Amino acid sequence: MTVGVGKKRVAICAVAQLKNDPDLWHTRFQGMLLEILEDLQRQTGFRYGEGGVEQIVSVSDDFFDARTISNNGVQDVLGGQYLAEEKMAQEGLNAIGYANAVILSGHKDVVLIMGHCKESQGESRNLITNCGFDPFYGRAVGLDYLNAAGLQARAYMAKSGLTDDHLARIVARSRQWAAKNPYANARETLPPGKVKASPMLCDPIRQLHAYPVSDGAVGLLLASEERAREYTDRPVWITGFANAMDAFFFGDRDLTSNFALKKAAAKACERAGIRDLKGAADVVEVMDCYAYQQPMWMEGLGFCGDGEGARFIDEGGPGKYRVNLSGGALAGNPMIIAGLYRAVEAALQLKGEAGDHQVPDARCAVAHSTNGPAGQFHSVLILEA
Amino acid sequence: MQKHRKNRNVAIIGIGQTALSSHKEDQNQVEMVAEAVRNALEDAGKTIDDIDCVVHGNMELFEMQFQPDMWHALGCGSYGKEEYRITTGGTVGATLVCASDNLVASGLYDTVLCIGFEKLQEGNTTGGITNMADPLWFRNLQTGALTSTTAMELIQKFGKERVLRAAMKYRIMMDKHAMLNPRAHRRLGLEYDQMETLMETSPQLVGELRLIHMCSQSDGACAMILTSEDRVREGTAKPPVWIRDHETSHREENMSNLYGARKPKSTHRDCAERLFARNGITDPLGYFDVFEMYDPSAFWAVDWLGEFLLLEGDEHLRLLEAGEFDLDGKLPVNPSGGVIASNPIGATAMLRIAEAALQIRGDAGGHQIKKEVRHALASGFGGSLWTVLMILEKEPNW
Amino acid sequence: MSRYYGTTVDDIFDTMPERFQPQEAKDVDVVVGYECGGEGGGKWRLKVREGAMAVEKVEGDLGPCTATVFAADAETFIGVTLNKIAALDALTSGKLRITGDASLLMNLLPRIFKPYRVPGPAPVTARDIVAGMADRFRPDKAAGVSLKFAYDLTGEGGGRFTVAIADGRCRVTEGLEKDAAVKMTMEASTFVGLMTGTMDATAAFTSGKVRIDGDMGAAAATGRYFDRYVPPDAPRVEELLSLKKVTSIDQRFATGPVMGKWFAGLRERKLLANVCPVCRRTMIHPREVCASCHVRAGEYVELGPEGYVTNYDLVYYASPDPLTGAVRDTPYACAWIMLDGASPEEAFAFEIKKEDLPRLKIGSRVRPVWAEKTVGSFRDLLYFEIID
Repeated sequence: MTVGVGKKRVAICAVAQLKNDPDLWHTRFQGMLLEILEDLQRQTGFRYGEGGVEQIVSVSDDFFDARTISNNGVQDVLGGQYLAEEKMAQEGLNAIGYANAVILSGHKDVVLIMGHCKESQGESRNLITNCGFDPFYGRAVGLDYLNAAGLQARAYMAKSGLTDDHLARIVARSRQWAAKNPYANARETLPPGKVKASPMLCDPIRQLHAYPVSDGAVGLLLASEERAREYTDRPVWITGFANAMDAFFFGDRDLTSNFALKKAAAKACERAGIRDLKGAADVVEVMDCYAYQQPMWMEGLGFCGDGEGARFIDEGGPGKYRVNLSGGALAGNPMIIAGLYRAVEAALQLKGEAGDHQVPDARCAVAHSTNGPAGQFHSVLILEA
Repeated sequence: MQKHRKNRNVAIIGIGQTALSSHKEDQNQVEMVAEAVRNALEDAGKTIDDIDCVVHGNMELFEMQFQPDMWHALGCGSYGKEEYRITTGGTVGATLVCASDNLVASGLYDTVLCIGFEKLQEGNTTGGITNMADPLWFRNLQTGALTSTTAMELIQKFGKERVLRAAMKYRIMMDKHAMLNPRAHRRLGLEYDQMETLMETSPQLVGELRLIHMCSQSDGACAMILTSEDRVREGTAKPPVWIRDHETSHREENMSNLYGARKPKSTHRDCAERLFARNGITDPLGYFDVFEMYDPSAFWAVDWLGEFLLLEGDEHLRLLEAGEFDLDGKLPVNPSGGVIASNPIGATAMLRIAEAALQIRGDAGGHQIKKEVRHALASGFGGSLWTVLMILEKEPNW
Repeated sequence: MSRYYGTTVDDIFDTMPERFQPQEAKDVDVVVGYECGGEGGGKWRLKVREGAMAVEKVEGDLGPCTATVFAADAETFIGVTLNKIAALDALTSGKLRITGDASLLMNLLPRIFKPYRVPGPAPVTARDIVAGMADRFRPDKAAGVSLKFAYDLTGEGGGRFTVAIADGRCRVTEGLEKDAAVKMTMEASTFVGLMTGTMDATAAFTSGKVRIDGDMGAAAATGRYFDRYVPPDAPRVEELLSLKKVTSIDQRFATGPVMGKWFAGLRERKLLANVCPVCRRTMIHPREVCASCHVRAGEYVELGPEGYVTNYDLVYYASPDPLTGAVRDTPYACAWIMLDGASPEEAFAFEIKKEDLPRLKIGSRVRPVWAEKTVGSFRDLLYFEIID
């Protein structure tokens, strides 16, 4: 397996994550990020300023924070004092893609990524995502990312033969793995029967099919190939990153086609110099906020054929391909940094630091995230040890 | 100071703007963005198929649209393409160009389209700005974006009459520039003999800050297309404008510690010092042929001329008084009329870079500087007094 | 000519008495002067006192006024009044000037006067609309229909009418025929509002503005058989759709231990700062990290209580509250205060007592004034006052 395509590479030197929690009422964003900062400093000894971190890429959302320029409030903790800081205002995996470009451009050698979000702060994340729809039609009709997912779930289940039964097993598996991950939010194991019995949230999505409201924070330190060894003995290399956008109005899309995800995956593979993820990846972390998304995104990433999602589950695909051993987004991450948590998990696996859910000899990992309604936008990150 | 080594060079090859006004009820956000994008593509002689990646930004709480780049996909042309969304507040327009420069320089993307926009009319601007403050404390004290503390400092240092005249001279100069720019939003036709009258009669907002000194609130969008030097060599519709370097300087949210007994260094001066030093520019006033400065108010503008140009004492006032920042002066400032004339916040900082680029290209139109423009400086401002600074060049001379 | 936008400056003042809303003017005692230059201009003095108003055109001096509006010319005055010219542009360019209490014009006058509207052609009456019903009748939509319904329209411009539809024809007669299937009673103005679309039908029916005697179904069906009424001089301008909505999402902001200490300090009437172990700056209010040194600051000290002013903002214009439109009392001042014991950059920004504003200077020594009961909130600290 080739690593990179003969170009310079960028490494993830260290990662830090806060345990995802249903309600971090006792701390504010600054406190959450400070823990991440101190963790990364402990691991790497990095300093701010000339010769160290001169660029920070933050991830936060103004709606979720209820704060214009949400990076302003945490600027002191981020470390942007007479330094450059830029906020990624989309799901955080894209911060890694962007930071990768910043370093490859030669502009900066070392970049710190820090993201935070409290989904518990606002009375309803559905009220927020409702504002993601156009004011005249989508919002008025009451669309939000939950019922958008419901529409997509219904369509995908019809296409792939995925049933309520499959969804229950996906959730049950997620909990089993989350139980081994001290950073996961929902770690209580559930038998499939209990999942099937949970009330409908947005048919066909049951309450237990949906990711719980979560608060969290994540950080990563990235460095150029020349500088990586200053910060770690076990750099994790970014070999490919790509994202892709689908149309916005549902009438313009085929909700089951994975149009954007396939494009992003293909481009990421091209950049990484690998033929397909199915053959290359030892570990996969997909952002499955709703149970149906796990097989659907795996299909989009090429781990099974079109419309084969149900078969993928029946044949033990998630186990075989080591999917979401962290518990995945299903176990609960705030949606705007759920992809960053996937990247953190992937990096830990490649560093050999995944503890109870470590895959032995993991050399290549994929982290995925999605943004927008019903997977309008997808991002794929390929990492290699 | 580490010498800056860019992986490959990047040029601006397309610039598109919409008209700027406070009455754009006949367009929704998507249509407004599409207009800017189409103008940029036409300017570059390209089609949307030539774009590899779109970079989008604004301040979403102004329009109350969550993840607006999703709805805007139709207008941005981002369908099927890669895309990033970066937001940093008032500086965002400039940050988008910096980010696009990074993306193209990285080698991963050849041609990038960046879009900054704002439709302030669709939301409540004061509400949006007030929401910038910490809900636990400063939101209760916030007076919007209006403050006279810098005027107070300048007056302490240089005397009231001189400072008030300098601010008014700057304001009228900006309007004169705006009168030459058909795209500017507020064009009042002010004359210098109105100075005294305006100083007395313009409604007082805060302290010495009067209505006449303050920037507008505008709606509009700006789009720019950047590409790699290889692509430039294949041929461009208009002369390319090279991005030499850029830097960003932020600081903590707290603004109480800006006007204490000892004043900390401004991010403007810090950014300029670092950027100029690593580019070997020791005399910015002499080096640059134009400066498009993000000037939210006349008093800040007067102060920041000194900060950005690394001047000491009252040199910035003397230069202003001598007309050296006028269109025919030593270093013309804001030939476009600046932010005081037009301010569609998400696009404003990008417009500074766009206007500087137009000056280098020589096609700024009515407000084109007569002397040849080879070296341009553009600044962005926002947040708790943050700075983004970019150097543009006619030739890749570094 | 001094006629602009279809009207004159005199018209605006002549209509003031009829636009006056006395119920909004209780406790008001103001004199507003108006001076409009050029042709068609002049000077007017408006007095509002004890719920009554008087406006007169004056020659010579306007005398003492609570506020005075100066317009450069009639076009500016009329244009701004009708919102054809943005007040902001007029103020900025100097064509409009205001002396005295400007907040009067922003808040008080719009409240006590109904907005001036350029008088249009004679308004259409209910009678006119009914009279034209036969012309708007659609026999194609009324095929096989036999229906008689009556309108009892009270008030000026109204009347009693019966409309009979039969054999593809429509006949309108005066009077209420007893065999009408349904009678609809309402004020003539309500009828006009419903027919011109300026009044919401559902709201009118629900709120009892329309009374129905007889067959509800018949009442609902009446609109079906006629083309919509279009006023004779309706402008042929395409109306832009505009959607207004207030989005509201409740928030629960966390305090965290560091801000928690700050508020606990306020409850004790203490102004606490935390000290960076590296650079020793005193951060007030306390912060989780020192932004310069990137380390926690666990040491807390009490600053002040007294200090001196290094800068201040004297606010004359307060932005209206985005939700309520309420405007703060001005002027008010926010000052930057170097509390005793603070490190040289770390000023504390807070408000100054309103009564002290006239003597506020850079260098003024101040002390905090606390609420009678402190609970650990922003409101514990009322303001800083000048120490004599």
